[in-house]
Amino acid sequence: MVKWFEQKAESEPNIVSSRVRLVRNWDQYRFPKTLSDREGEELVKRLEFGLKNLEELDGTPYEYAYLEELDELSRRALRERRILNSAILNKKGMVGLIVSRDESVSLVLNGDDHIRMQFLSTGLCLNELWSRADKLDDYVNARFSYAFDEKYGYLTSFPTNVGTGLKASVTLHLPTLSLGKKFSSLVGEMSRFGLTLRGVYGEGSENYGSLFEIANQKTLGLSEQEIIDLVTRMAGQLNRQEKQVREATLTNQRLEREDEVYKSYGVLKYARRLSGKDGMIFLSQLMAGADDGLIRVKEPCSIYRMMLGIQQANLQKLSHKPLGKDELDMARAEYVRKELPELA
Amino acid sequence: MLCENCKIREANIRYTEVINGVKTEHNLCSQCAKEMDMGHYSAIFDGEFPLAKLLSSLLGLEESSQKEDKLQQITCPICKTSYQDFVEHSRFGCPDCYHVFDLLIGDKIKKLQGNDSHKGKQPRFRKMEPVSAVTGNENAPVGMVVTETTSRAETITLLKARLEEAIEKEEYEEAARYRDQIKELRREEEQNG
Repeated sequence: MVKWFEQKAESEPNIVSSRVRLVRNWDQYRFPKTLSDREGEELVKRLEFGLKNLEELDGTPYEYAYLEELDELSRRALRERRILNSAILNKKGMVGLIVSRDESVSLVLNGDDHIRMQFLSTGLCLNELWSRADKLDDYVNARFSYAFDEKYGYLTSFPTNVGTGLKASVTLHLPTLSLGKKFSSLVGEMSRFGLTLRGVYGEGSENYGSLFEIANQKTLGLSEQEIIDLVTRMAGQLNRQEKQVREATLTNQRLEREDEVYKSYGVLKYARRLSGKDGMIFLSQLMAGADDGLIRVKEPCSIYRMMLGIQQANLQKLSHKPLGKDELDMARAEYVRKELPELA
Repeated sequence: MLCENCKIREANIRYTEVINGVKTEHNLCSQCAKEMDMGHYSAIFDGEFPLAKLLSSLLGLEESSQKEDKLQQITCPICKTSYQDFVEHSRFGCPDCYHVFDLLIGDKIKKLQGNDSHKGKQPRFRKMEPVSAVTGNENAPVGMVVTETTSRAETITLLKARLEEAIEKEEYEEAARYRDQIKELRREEEQNG
């Protein structure tokens, strides 16, 4: 089945994907942190039983699994594809997973909270994702009464999620905007609106691939629709600013831009070794060039899929064995050579 | 180098003073430095390092007065999470913690979230005292709030879920009741379209 990130987005270039996450707890149990192993297992089994016919909701087939049944590599690959967060990765005790075949919908049971529902899609479509999440939320709620408080709203393990339990985020590709001096002040300004803007890949202050995620920081005091609107508006704003500076480069530095994108394409097409950092940088340059019409590739949407594909755990999973650093760089180059779209 | 004040102990603090553009250097041992009046810097030598104090107060571990100490010991009866645990890990143990620590956490949540009251969605289905009398819907499952907007189809879905759970728990009497209620609702549905 085609995964969500392999589907073509209708909306703007530069907007890579949207995500909505809801956190809920059943009022019959304490939060996962204070549950015994036995209680945790009981919780997962009961939740799973109540949700065994999830398919009837939207007609999508779902797969059910327990985290402990998956090997280390599969878990890390799920982390790279954003189904799991890093906190859950090493959690002791039973954790249940319900994932739709295309991986666009996923539920984590007994992670940080009892139920974490997540919806992913390409393009900018938080509104649509929220309405689907809202429906699934009611479906779950019909089976399990939620821990809810008139004042604080939906109660969660962490005070950072209380209230709506909603996190809405959009991943954007900002290769030119993020180079500017004003970008760091922009990052600061986002917090004034109760939003965060952070690099998706890279270590420390470095960013590989120029992918940034904008998300709401606050979950209490705003309605779900207000949160969705706020993030959507600001993502659109960032996209417009990126477009403006990119257009300027197309007139002022056209030769440099063309040279950059063709060189990147060349390296990706012929390299025998590719580090994770270089891979992300060249793919990002190719993505920008394809979006701006400097280069024409047959399937532009496959570039983001490749960005996910060249991550470490995925490559190791593909080659069915642990890889050393050199082998990993070789496997990455090989993967890219195979997946790189032809020039149109 | 020996301390210029006591000339006994090794000097381990170099203190540079600039007065009207004239720079003078003093080499002192920590004991003499502590005794000299150096304004607010004296605090540095007062045993406790102020940076550590600063950090813990940021994290909510304010200087402990007796009253604070008592607060730290408040413990949630359901999950045994103490207020101190909460402050250290920023994490609640169970839904009841919110009520137990309510007065203590209000300000913190407000600081964190910029607000302290929920404005969004309300759960459509809730466990409460039986309210079938309120809505006049006699088929509402016991212990469920059925609001005006809850359609018959939704009530059926809800009852089906309850039925499954009752069967799983081998509570057949309850299951039978749910089954009858579903039947009744289905019949109504057919009649009214």
